[in-house]
Amino acid sequence: MDYKALIANRRSYAMDWKARTGGKVLGYFDPYFPEELAYAAGMLPVRMMAEREPDTLSAKWIYSSCYPVKAFTNQFLLGRFDYMDALVHVEGCNWMYNAFEVAMNHDPALLTHFLFVPEHTDAPTSRDVLRSELNVFKGKLEEWTGKAVSVEALDYAIEVYNTNRKLLRKLYELRRFYHTPILGSEAMGVMLANQLMDKAEMNLLLADYIRELEAREPAGDRVRLMLLGSETWSTDLEEMVESLGANIVIDDLDNGASYCWNEIIPLEDRLMAIALRYLGRPHSALRDNNWRRRPQRIFELSEDFMIDGVLIAKQIYCHPHGLDNYAIWKLLRERGIPFHYFERDLSLPAEETKLRLKAFLHTIKPGLTRLMGWHQPLNLEV
Amino acid sequence: MANKGQLWETRPLEFWARAKELRAGWQQSIESKEQVVGQGNILAIADWSRAFPDVTLVEDNPAGSMIASQSSPFARKCRLASEIRGWGREICGYQNTCWGSQFLGYQVDGSPFPERRFVVPLPCLCDQHTKRGQQVRDYEPVPQWMMDQCVYLGPRDEAREEAMIEHRAFSMLRQINDIERLFGQQFDDEKFHDLLTAYSLVDQYSRDISVFMANTKPTPLSIKDYYSVYTLGSLTKIDPDDAVNFWKLVRDEVAWRAENQIAAVGNERFRWIEAHPPSWHFLKYYRYMEQYGAVCLGSQYAHRVTAGCLERKPDGTLDRRNMLYYPKDTPLVTREDGVRICLTPDVRYPHHHKMDEFIRHHALVEFADIFQADGALLAGWRCGVGCTLTRKEQAMRLRKAGYSVMFYEGSQPGDRTDLDEKRFLEQLDTWMETQGLEKYAE
Repeated sequence: MDYKALIANRRSYAMDWKARTGGKVLGYFDPYFPEELAYAAGMLPVRMMAEREPDTLSAKWIYSSCYPVKAFTNQFLLGRFDYMDALVHVEGCNWMYNAFEVAMNHDPALLTHFLFVPEHTDAPTSRDVLRSELNVFKGKLEEWTGKAVSVEALDYAIEVYNTNRKLLRKLYELRRFYHTPILGSEAMGVMLANQLMDKAEMNLLLADYIRELEAREPAGDRVRLMLLGSETWSTDLEEMVESLGANIVIDDLDNGASYCWNEIIPLEDRLMAIALRYLGRPHSALRDNNWRRRPQRIFELSEDFMIDGVLIAKQIYCHPHGLDNYAIWKLLRERGIPFHYFERDLSLPAEETKLRLKAFLHTIKPGLTRLMGWHQPLNLEV
Repeated sequence: MANKGQLWETRPLEFWARAKELRAGWQQSIESKEQVVGQGNILAIADWSRAFPDVTLVEDNPAGSMIASQSSPFARKCRLASEIRGWGREICGYQNTCWGSQFLGYQVDGSPFPERRFVVPLPCLCDQHTKRGQQVRDYEPVPQWMMDQCVYLGPRDEAREEAMIEHRAFSMLRQINDIERLFGQQFDDEKFHDLLTAYSLVDQYSRDISVFMANTKPTPLSIKDYYSVYTLGSLTKIDPDDAVNFWKLVRDEVAWRAENQIAAVGNERFRWIEAHPPSWHFLKYYRYMEQYGAVCLGSQYAHRVTAGCLERKPDGTLDRRNMLYYPKDTPLVTREDGVRICLTPDVRYPHHHKMDEFIRHHALVEFADIFQADGALLAGWRCGVGCTLTRKEQAMRLRKAGYSVMFYEGSQPGDRTDLDEKRFLEQLDTWMETQGLEKYAE
């Protein structure tokens, strides 16, 4: 799959999709955005991608904030998202709200909606709140499109999205093999492309791609790493890691593994089924606050994917991760899992990051897995 | 202090001594071994924890700010203690400093850091408020209860709020019931109901003070003075009767000052407003501005903590904005009745001071108008996401409405790391000069 082309040509893809289907394109950012609903309404939900570009405009409108949000604002004001008819903000990232507000005020013709998703996700009443919010959003979608969202359309959307999640999970399962046929950069590229496309079309590409991967010769020994931290918008880091003889085999990013880890369990009440899926997903740093499942999940993934070490890449000014790190570091230290933490923005300072990664990889002794007899002597050029 | 250009009489504030006593009592209460001290951020019309015999809630905002104000070296030590344990260096100073003190195990005076035995994180729009309470539970295994600050844009939608109201009521009831069960303390429902009345009086008195400040030229109270006491009874949790008596004392004194033209700043000739909190460790700039005859009237944040948001009524008077409360004759029999009244029927309460700018874009302009301001001083808090949202757009709106606006930058109100104090004062000089004002006295 040429995921790089899919990402690069996302605007022309969306324009073409609109021409083919007559539907509207809806932009979103937050991982808790219920894509199925928009899809059932005949819209194409597209995750907004922060792209590095000289920022000439955002400073007038937004103070501070993380770089992706600045980039969104800049791109929006430059007209890069001109193919989007609607923009939905899900209550979550505050910086992103600011970008949403600028977009909303700047382009009154843009269809906008603010969707509340409880941050207290585990109360018995949380599901009722989200179901109610989904119902409000459904009404808004019907108003935008001029047609009702039928039960059949909802069932179809749920089926398409569940299939998509199954396929993506399969991709992750292939990464679990000690000699995995897929590199982290490819996997992340596919994840990013997936969030830009019509899932029914993407599912066909994914099915072919998985068949191709299954037939592919597995790669040789590499240090196995897990990636944690803020969302990513490119595969630069994965590629750099690979150039040093390592491979990111698992992540816990909002637009990575967490995006596809759980499915919708069908219920008579479709909206409730969707609500339960989002409240039960592996939580983002911001929403992992009541039952505190994220550290345990990270530990389980680290075992399941036989990792040798962890990279934590935090976007500067990403508060949820800046606040979550304490518990994650504590866990990794307690369990003796080596990790390297660094801050980044949309760019990745090549030499500095490479040097730090090299130093980190030197400290890793992939002995745990070696002792288990799964592997040949390593000859890493790090 | 009699500056040159003195136009009105000024006098020291008489409620000051009582405020100090109450503040000292609060410090003792959070260090008491007999009390179950919880990390709790209550955003409701009353602090329900007072209905327990021995439960005290303490927050991290005042603790973090006070550390930054009292000792810069200790604040740096605290931030370092947080950062080496994983906290982002660009996290809100309230938390970085307060929890750094927890990591170190002692407070600024060397006494032990008060142990928290449970945590109720602040339900808030601000990402950092929501996450920060969790630190207590991440640090050691204590119970935690969550609640949501529900949000949406646009006018009030009762149907949309139904599930949200139930969600909030359920969350708060569970907190109270679980604290009873886990700590063996009986929640006094009658006392809880009395608390609701008491807090409505605090609300009324503090609102009166806001009205005097807005309506009276010269203002009888500057925000510098107000900030010295404004958390008493809310963020700084004290006995409700003490809170009512104290705010009545303040209200009466401010009323008398307004009536007799006793000014906060004797040479007042420029009034300015702000948005959200100032640099707590550098409140000196308020006094500095007095040399220009400039006085700060505060922000929606300052006037929101204790008083209702104000609005100009059709007859020209100022009063609380039409916010939703249950009618006075609403039955108040059960604990659940109390909880619902405490939370109000408006799910977006009590964050109007933050949400205002999202829902009503003209909010800050309206605030400037109500307080008869000449200008606005806006802070860009790089590490305070909730304090900084929409600030640039607000500045544009204020300018468009004819107000002079100045920006200054810092890391966060409770963190002095990035606030260049000298530069800030020089900026203020420039701002005043552009307004045609010169210092009366050095």
